[in-house]
Amino acid sequence: MATETGPRVGGDEGFASLALGDGRRLRRGAVGVAAFLLVWHAVSLTQDPFVLPSPVAVAEAFAGELASGDMTAALSQSVRHWIPGTAVGTGLGVAAGVAFAWSRVLDDLTAPLVRTLRPVPPLALIGFAIAWFGINDAGAAFIIAVGAFWINFYAAYGAVEGVSEDLLDVGRTLGVRGDLDAVRSIVLPASMPGIMTGIRTGLGRCWMLVVASEIFGVPGVGREIIRASNNLRVDRAIAYILVLSLMFLLVDVAFRAVERRVLAWRA
Amino acid sequence: MAGVNDDGTVGDAGASSSPAAASVALDRVGKTYAADGDGEPVRALDDVSFSVADGEFVCLVGPSGCGKTTLFRVVAGLTEATDGRVLLDGTEVTAPTTDMGVVFQEYHLFPWLTVEENVGFGLERSDRPAAEREARVDEMLDLVGLTEFRGAYPKSLSGGMKQRVAIARALAVDPDLLLMDEPFGAVDAQTREMLQRELLDVWASTGKTVLFVTHDVAEAVTLADRIVVMAAEPGRVRQVVDVDVERPRERGDAAFAEYVGRVRELIGAHP
Repeated sequence: MATETGPRVGGDEGFASLALGDGRRLRRGAVGVAAFLLVWHAVSLTQDPFVLPSPVAVAEAFAGELASGDMTAALSQSVRHWIPGTAVGTGLGVAAGVAFAWSRVLDDLTAPLVRTLRPVPPLALIGFAIAWFGINDAGAAFIIAVGAFWINFYAAYGAVEGVSEDLLDVGRTLGVRGDLDAVRSIVLPASMPGIMTGIRTGLGRCWMLVVASEIFGVPGVGREIIRASNNLRVDRAIAYILVLSLMFLLVDVAFRAVERRVLAWRA
Repeated sequence: MAGVNDDGTVGDAGASSSPAAASVALDRVGKTYAADGDGEPVRALDDVSFSVADGEFVCLVGPSGCGKTTLFRVVAGLTEATDGRVLLDGTEVTAPTTDMGVVFQEYHLFPWLTVEENVGFGLERSDRPAAEREARVDEMLDLVGLTEFRGAYPKSLSGGMKQRVAIARALAVDPDLLLMDEPFGAVDAQTREMLQRELLDVWASTGKTVLFVTHDVAEAVTLADRIVVMAAEPGRVRQVVDVDVERPRERGDAAFAEYVGRVRELIGAHP
C-alpha cells in the first residue's frame, strides 16, 4: 500500500480516507471488509454464539436493538456524557497547554504536578467520579473529560513550544505588546494545526472512553456493551461496539471537514 | 520603475514627499554574548558608531561573522546591546517600535493571514479608523503591485512576492525608518534585481530612511548613498564609503565597478 502511487485523499487514516472517497481505495476497502466478513462467518459456524456469533446474528441484533428504540436511547444517553466531557476536557486541555507552554512561570510551577498526574489512567479516577459527581451523567462526563484533557494539553503544549521566535519578533516590530496580544494574534493561530490534531485525536479517544465512563453503572452505549458481555450476548455487545465505531467515524469525518476550512492557509 | 531620479535629485524628492523620515545614530554599540559552557565570551560587536541621516539610504556590508545580523537586531530593539546605544531621532531604542519597519531575510509572513491581512497586521494595532486602515492597505498593495493577490495566502506566493508583502507590511504603519536584513538574499538573481529597482522606487516615493544589511557588495553599490563596511572578530566599522554615482546605476559602468572593487578590498583586507 505504501508504495502505491495512485491519487490519495488525506491518507493518514484508513477510515476517513475511505469516507472521503478515492475510487480504487474504496473498492479495495470493500474487498477487505467482504473477506473479513466471510472469514468471520466461516469461523463462527464452528463456534458457540457466546464465543463468536455470526455476522448475520450481529446484524440481526443491531436491527433489533435499533427497532426497539433501545439503541437510540443508549446512544442519546452516551452523547450526554460525550459532549460535555469532550467539550470541557478539550477546552481546559487546550487552555492549560497554551498557558503552560507560553508562560515560563506557570510551566515551572506546574511541571511536577503535570508529571505526577499524567500517568493516571482515567479509569483509575472512577472513585473520584462517584464521590465528586455521583453515579450520573456528570460522573461519566468527568471520566471522559480527563481523557480529553491530557491529549489536548500535550498537543497544545507541543504546538505552542514550536511557534517560531521569528514570527514573534516580527509581531513585536509591528506593535504586538504583552502576553495576551502575542498569544491571541500569533501564538494561537501559529499553533492551530497542532491544536486541531489534538482535538481530533481527543474526539476519537473520548468515544473509547464512553465504555470506561459507564462501567460504574451510568446507562449508555458503554453500559450496554458491558451488560451484553456479562450476559454472554456477544452479538448484542458487538452491535453496540459498532455504534461507537460509527459515531467515531461520523465525528472524525465532520471534524476533518472543519479542520480543512480552519487550516485552509496551510500548504 | 521609471523616474527614480529622472531629475537626479532623489534625496530632495524623497525629503519633500514625506516628512516622516528619521535619523539613526549608533553610539559606540557593543555586544558580548555570554560564555557558552567552557567557551570564552564572544564579542560580536565592538564600538560601532555611525549615523544615517533623514531620508538617506545606507547599506551595511561585511564578511560573515562581522555581526551584521546582531547589529540589525540591536537597531530593531530585538536584542539588547551590552554597551553603547542606538538613537532613533534622538530617542534611545530599547525595545521594538513601530517607528521602524523591519524586513527580515526569510520574509516571516504570517501564514494564516492573507496578503492583505498580513499588510494590515500592524495597522490593526494603531488607532486609525477602519476606513483609513483599509485605504492604507490598498495603497500599500498598489505600491508593491500585489493588489490582485490580496486574498491569497503566503503559501501560494513566490519568494519575490512574499518579500514584497513583507515590505508592504513594514511600510503600512508608516515607520520613519525601514530596516532590512538581507531582504533579497533568498530570491534568484533576476528577482533580486527587480526588487532592488522596486525598493529604490519605494524609497524615492516615500522618502523613508533606509538601513539595509547585505553581504552582496554589488547590491550595496546599486542601492546605497553610503556603505558602512564592517570587519569581523569583533564586528566593527572598518570604513564608511560614499557612493557618488547617479541613479539608476548601471553595473557595467566603470565607476560602479570601481566602487565594488574598493568595497571588496575593504572587506577582504586584514587589520
